Amino acid sequence: MKRWSAKSALQYAGAAALLWAVVAGACLFVGSTTAGRFDIPTSAALSLRLERVWVASLVGAALAGAGVAYQSILRNPLADPYLLGVSSGASLAGYLWQFAFAAGIAAALSQQAASFVGAAVSVVVVFGVAGRRGRLDPVTLLLTGVIVNALNASLFLLINALIKDPPGAGGPISFIVGGIRTNLTSHQMIAAAVIVAGGWILLWSLSGQLAAAALGDAEIESLGISIQRLRWIALGIASLITAAAVAVSGPIGFVGLVCPHLARRFVGPDPRRLLPVATALGAALLALADAATRYLAGPSRAATVLPVGVLTGLLGGPFFLFLLLQGRRSRAPHAGGLS
Amino acid sequence: MTNLAALLEARNLSFAYEPAKPILRGVDLKLRSGEVVALLGPNGSGKSTLLSCLTGHLRGGGEVRLAGNNLARLPRRAVARQLAYLPQFPTFEPGQSVGDVLRIGRAPYLGAFGIESNNDLEIARQTAQRLQLQDMMNRPMDELSGGQRQRVFIGRCLCQQPQALLLDEPTTGLDLRHQAELCRLVQTLSRDNNIAILMATHDLNLAGAIADRILLLDDGAIVRQGVSSDVLHPETLHGVYGVRMHRIEAAGEAPALRMEWLSAPDQP
Repeated sequence: MKRWSAKSALQYAGAAALLWAVVAGACLFVGSTTAGRFDIPTSAALSLRLERVWVASLVGAALAGAGVAYQSILRNPLADPYLLGVSSGASLAGYLWQFAFAAGIAAALSQQAASFVGAAVSVVVVFGVAGRRGRLDPVTLLLTGVIVNALNASLFLLINALIKDPPGAGGPISFIVGGIRTNLTSHQMIAAAVIVAGGWILLWSLSGQLAAAALGDAEIESLGISIQRLRWIALGIASLITAAAVAVSGPIGFVGLVCPHLARRFVGPDPRRLLPVATALGAALLALADAATRYLAGPSRAATVLPVGVLTGLLGGPFFLFLLLQGRRSRAPHAGGLS
Repeated sequence: MTNLAALLEARNLSFAYEPAKPILRGVDLKLRSGEVVALLGPNGSGKSTLLSCLTGHLRGGGEVRLAGNNLARLPRRAVARQLAYLPQFPTFEPGQSVGDVLRIGRAPYLGAFGIESNNDLEIARQTAQRLQLQDMMNRPMDELSGGQRQRVFIGRCLCQQPQALLLDEPTTGLDLRHQAELCRLVQTLSRDNNIAILMATHDLNLAGAIADRILLLDDGAIVRQGVSSDVLHPETLHGVYGVRMHRIEAAGEAPALRMEWLSAPDQP
């Protein structure tokens, strides 16, 4: 039994950062330049790749970190950061923004800011409807999230059916499947990074309490933890982090769902250890997935660069299934194992 | 020996989810250090609700005092350092080991980032040793038997270093050997550690055997309380449970009750 001390927290954070740095560093050598798929990048290519790796890492870290909090608080291993309407709200708002922009009335607000606001509004609606007398119940939250997601998606499709997309908007698919964008301003990147980093540190500071979040309400309160306050704060922060990520990349699937499960296999269910490891895995895997899309496009760019959300969906789905099947096998009762 | 001052006290406690359907009606009780009190009553009589009110999880009318202080005004962490609660169906997260569950009991003492002190770990170790769990600290909870799990959950409560322990039907689902082990543990904790224990149970004979006092709850109110010979009376129990019983007395032992198995419960 090893004590969770400040030193072990720093060791975990350091090891996690190192894991990410190695993978992210390797991704800088993957590109789609005329020189080949693996190369020593020129300074121009390096700058572009640095930006992609940085944005992918930020988004992956945000989604995986938020996934840990969502799964703990909602007591649901299938919970992902998009469950409470963040992604559908962001997609709808971003989609609406392009019409406002085309009409010349959205100059004060960037598309990313509009997506962030849309995500935040969706979460506020979910919390407002699900929160009864200030109390949040996981099942009610999940159901309300499903309803708000469905409503947002229907509104999106309705608008798409009624109004033709403005020229150069990229079509509705670009709002449904996320990708790493390189058209972000430095202000947008800094704002997203500050929200994600600040929120993540707050979540980690709550991780001792999150360790008890799987217990019944009366049980957790008997341990001195206000479960209602923990739910509001942890879900609020996780949603904010997710909104910041979705605003810059659009909805990228499976990272927030798979990475916490993958990290659990290495460090167990304790959120104090799980959060840094899952976050590093999210950052590294999304940077890797983005590098894979560059690799697949090739030097000739004969193939279109896939939105990274397509790749995470294609690989993440079967991988999650594999994790589930493995987990089921290891939990199967064995002869003489139970007294 | 029990101290006279009440460690946990309920005064005129009432609770209702709907105003027209009260679940607790004017309950008064005192729990003193070092005593075991059994809480008896039929299903739906309000036993679990009473325990939840005593922990502060549910708040109704009346007052609960812990070591002389109004429970409602105490910080939750301060309450958790004095009062531990084991629900009827305690839970754990899949994948948690015995050690993980014991260490969660130190939650009221942890600061930001869940940083543990050497003392936190030492108390978890001592508790494991005391409950003979030291050899299974790394075993997943999913692999334990019901009796072993219950011991771990009691260990989690003891890691809180409580002065009072509230147990909600802790013998449910346990075989006779594990029931006996648990009863011995309850008695040891009260006598050796001076912990006040309030235990809700359906087992009248178990209550008679280990409790210093018994509270009989019916329809949200305490209808009888006292030592086992006063409360475990066939006529009293018939009034509450609607079942006829015989009392078997033996010199120097707590009275035992035998139900008339062949007679159906009286219709209300």
